[in-house]
Amino acid sequence: MRYTARKILTLLITMAVVSFLTFAAFDLISGDPAATLLGTQATPEKVAALREEMGLNRPLPVRYGEWLAGFFTGNLGTSFQYRQPVRELLAPKVMVTLCLSLVSFVLITAISLPLGLLSSNGKLEGLHTVLNQFCMAVPPFFTGILISWFFGIALRVFVPGDFPGLAENPGKSLVYLFFAAVSIAIPRVAMTVRMLRSTVISEMNKPYVRTAIARGNDRHQVLWGHVLKNSLVPTVTFLGQTMAEIVAGSIVVEQVFSIPGLGRMLVASISNQDYPVVEAIVVILAFWVVLSGTAADLVNRCIDPRMGGTAR
Amino acid sequence: MKKRILTLLAAVCLLSAVLSGCGGGSQTGTTENTDQSTTSTPADGPEARAAAGELNVGIAQDLDSSLDPHKTVKAGTREVMFNVFEGLLKPDASGNLNPAVAESYTVSDDHLLYTFKLRPGVKFHNGQEVTPEDVIWSYQRCAEPDSADIIQVAAFAGVEMYAEGDDTVCFRLKEPNNEFTSYLTTAILPKDYTEQDTAPVGTGPFLFVSRTAQESVVLERFDDYWGEKPELTKVTYKIIENSDSILLSLQSGAVDVFAHLTTTQIAQLGDGFHVEEGTMNLVQALYLNNAEKPFDDVRVRQALCYAVDRQQILELAFDGYGTLLGSSMYPAFSKYFDDSLTNTYEYNPEKAKALLAEAGYPDGFEMTITVPSNYQPHMDTAQVIVEQLKAVGITATIQPVTWESWVQDTYSNRQFQSTVVGVDASNMTASAMLSRFVSTAGNNFINYSNDDYDALYAQAQACYDDGEQTDLYKELEKNLTDNAANVYIQDMADFVAVRDGLEGPDFYPIYVLDLSTFHYTK
Repeated sequence: MRYTARKILTLLITMAVVSFLTFAAFDLISGDPAATLLGTQATPEKVAALREEMGLNRPLPVRYGEWLAGFFTGNLGTSFQYRQPVRELLAPKVMVTLCLSLVSFVLITAISLPLGLLSSNGKLEGLHTVLNQFCMAVPPFFTGILISWFFGIALRVFVPGDFPGLAENPGKSLVYLFFAAVSIAIPRVAMTVRMLRSTVISEMNKPYVRTAIARGNDRHQVLWGHVLKNSLVPTVTFLGQTMAEIVAGSIVVEQVFSIPGLGRMLVASISNQDYPVVEAIVVILAFWVVLSGTAADLVNRCIDPRMGGTAR
Repeated sequence: MKKRILTLLAAVCLLSAVLSGCGGGSQTGTTENTDQSTTSTPADGPEARAAAGELNVGIAQDLDSSLDPHKTVKAGTREVMFNVFEGLLKPDASGNLNPAVAESYTVSDDHLLYTFKLRPGVKFHNGQEVTPEDVIWSYQRCAEPDSADIIQVAAFAGVEMYAEGDDTVCFRLKEPNNEFTSYLTTAILPKDYTEQDTAPVGTGPFLFVSRTAQESVVLERFDDYWGEKPELTKVTYKIIENSDSILLSLQSGAVDVFAHLTTTQIAQLGDGFHVEEGTMNLVQALYLNNAEKPFDDVRVRQALCYAVDRQQILELAFDGYGTLLGSSMYPAFSKYFDDSLTNTYEYNPEKAKALLAEAGYPDGFEMTITVPSNYQPHMDTAQVIVEQLKAVGITATIQPVTWESWVQDTYSNRQFQSTVVGVDASNMTASAMLSRFVSTAGNNFINYSNDDYDALYAQAQACYDDGEQTDLYKELEKNLTDNAANVYIQDMADFVAVRDGLEGPDFYPIYVLDLSTFHYTK
C-alpha cells in the first residue's frame, strides 16, 4: 500500500514538474502564437490586439494556475489552431498512438524473447551479431518507407496514406498499424535480444547453474526453470523503458505512414505554436513514461517478491 | 515459463493470421447516394471513387485556424475554400471576372456609382436565400473590421453601400477606382452568422462538410447551386506532410491528385498518372532589404542582378522548368506582364564586379540569405546563388528558418539582409503585386523607397482609363527593374499529378484549385 502510494505520488510530481517546465518554455522560446495565426497579415497593432483577445499577456503563474485548475476538472483548454477543446481533439489521436504502441510492444516482446533465448544458446553466433547490428542501425524512417512500398504498393496488403480509422474499421486499422509497428519494432527487437542474450549468458555462468547441471539436471530444464526467471527482471525493466521509447519512435513512423496520431499532432502543434495542444500532449507523454516504468516495477515485484523492501 | 511463452507466441501468430484475413487488397466500394448526408462512408479505392464521382486530393499543409474567408491568411486555405465561397463576381480560368451572385451591373459615367442586380434564387449552403443585406454586411465587415483577425479590403473603406429594393446593391465610391470590381470577388456570407470560423457557409458549388485536425477536410457538392453543377459529388483533402509519403499515397491509390510537386517527385511517379504543368503564379526572387547596407546602394543591387545566372538556377534546381521574369509581375497575368523587362540584367559577372568596385566593394562582401526551410525549391535556389556569388567575391551564407519565424522575423519585422521566397497575389489585380513597394506600405518588407514609384502608384490608382492605367502599372514594373529592387528570378512551374482516367484541372492565374474542372473520363 505504501509502495503504491509512493508510486502515485511520483507520477503526480513528475507530471506537475513537466507541465510547468513546458509552460515556462513557451515563454522562453521565440515565436508568438498570435503572430503565427495572423501570418502575413500581422501588424504590431493586430498582434497586440489578438494577444489581448487570447489572454496571452497575463503573467505566467496566472496562466499556469488557470491551466492546472482546468486540468483537474478534465478541461485541457482550447486549441488555438483548431478552435476545438483539446480533449475532443486529442482523444482519437491518443487511441491511435496507444494502439500503435501496444501492437509494437507485443511485437517486440513476442519476437525478442524467443530470439534472445535462442541466441544465448550459442547458436547462430556470427549471423546474429551482424543482423543485430544492422537492425539497430537502420532508422525506422527508412524501414517504414521500404515496408510501405513492399507491402503496400507491391503486395497491396494495405493502402499507405489511407488509414481507415479505428472507429470505422478496426480490423483494417490494426493491419495498417501492424506494418508501422514493424518499423518501430525492428531496432528495439535488436536491442532487447542483445540485452536478453547477455543477461542469460551471465546468469548461465553463475555457480548455482553449474551446480545444478553437475547434479544431473537437464540443461534445458535449468534454463527454463531457473535462469530465465532470474534474467527476466532486468529484461522487464528494459521492456518498460522500451514501452516509453516506442512513443518517441512513433513520431517519425506516424509521418511516414500518414497515421493520425499524437506524434504528428505534436510536431504540427509545435510549428503552429498551439500551446494548449503541445502542453496536453507533453503531459500525456510524461504520464505514459512514468506509467511504463511503474508497470515494469510492478511486474518485477510479482516475479521477484524480494524487490520493494518488505519480504512477503 | 516455457508453456507461457509458447502460448504467447502462438497467440500472436494466430492474431496476425486472423487480422490479415480481415484487411488487405482493394474492395468494391459502396456507391454513394448524393444527398447532403454528412456521415456517408467514403468509397474505397480509385475505381470505386470514380464510379461514385468522388475525389481524394492530397495537400501538404493543414488549413488556417479559421475557415472564415475574410480571415484567410494561408494561400493553401484559399486554394481549397475557393470552391466554397463566391462574391458578386467570380474569376474564371482565363482571368476574366464573371457575374456570380450578381446577375449584371452598371457603372455610372463618373465611375463613382456601381449598381449590382442580384441573381434571383441564389442560396447559401444553409438554405437561406441571398439578400442585399447579406452582401452589404459581408463587405462592410471587410471595410471596417471589428476583429483583429479579419483582413481589411482597403478598396471598401469609405465606400457607401446601400440596397435598393430587394434585389439591388449599390456602391458609391469617393474616388474612381478602376480595379474596384476585382475586389467584388470577396466572399459573401450570411448576415450575422457567427460560426464561419468552424462551420463555414457560402454560395459556392461545394459546401463544407467537416475537417479533422491534421488529417482531412471534406467538401460535398451543393445540389442547390445556382450555376452549372460540378461532376464531383464529394472531395476529401488528405493532409500529407512528408514528401515520401506523398508519393506512396499516390501510388497506393489513397490519393488521386496532388499539386505543387517537385521535379524529383514527378520523376518517381511511375505509371497510372499524368502530370499537368501550370505555373505557380508567383514571383520568386532574391528579395533584398533595401534599407540595409550594402543593399541600399542601387549599384550593389544591380551588381547582384548581373552576378546571378538565372537560367542556370532553372537548370540546376528545377530541371529546366520555370519562366524567367524581370519584375514583380508573373507571366500568367498577361494583361500586365511586361516581357521586355525579363532580360534587363543578362548574366555578366565582369559587369557585376565593376559595379561592386564602383560602389566601394572591390573585394566583395559577406551577406546572409534567409530561406524558409520547408520550401525545398527556395533552399535549392539559394544554394545555386551562393555558388554564383562566389565568382564575384561575395560570400553568402544561407540561414534556414521555419516558416513561422520567416513570417514573423523576416516578413513582419523586416530583420533580414536578403531572402529567397515566392510572392503571390491574393486577388487578381496589378496592385496586389505592386502596392507593397510604395514606401509607406505596411507590407513593404523589402523597405523599397523611391519617390518616382510612389508618385506613379498614386497616379495609377487615381486613373480610371483602363489602357492608361495598364501603361502606368507597366511603368511601375520598369521602375522596380531599373532600380534593381530585387534580383528577380522566375515564376516556378507548378506540377499537378493526376491519376489516369481523370481530366483536369484548369489552371487559374491565381493560387486556387477549381474542383469543378475535374472530370472522370471512361
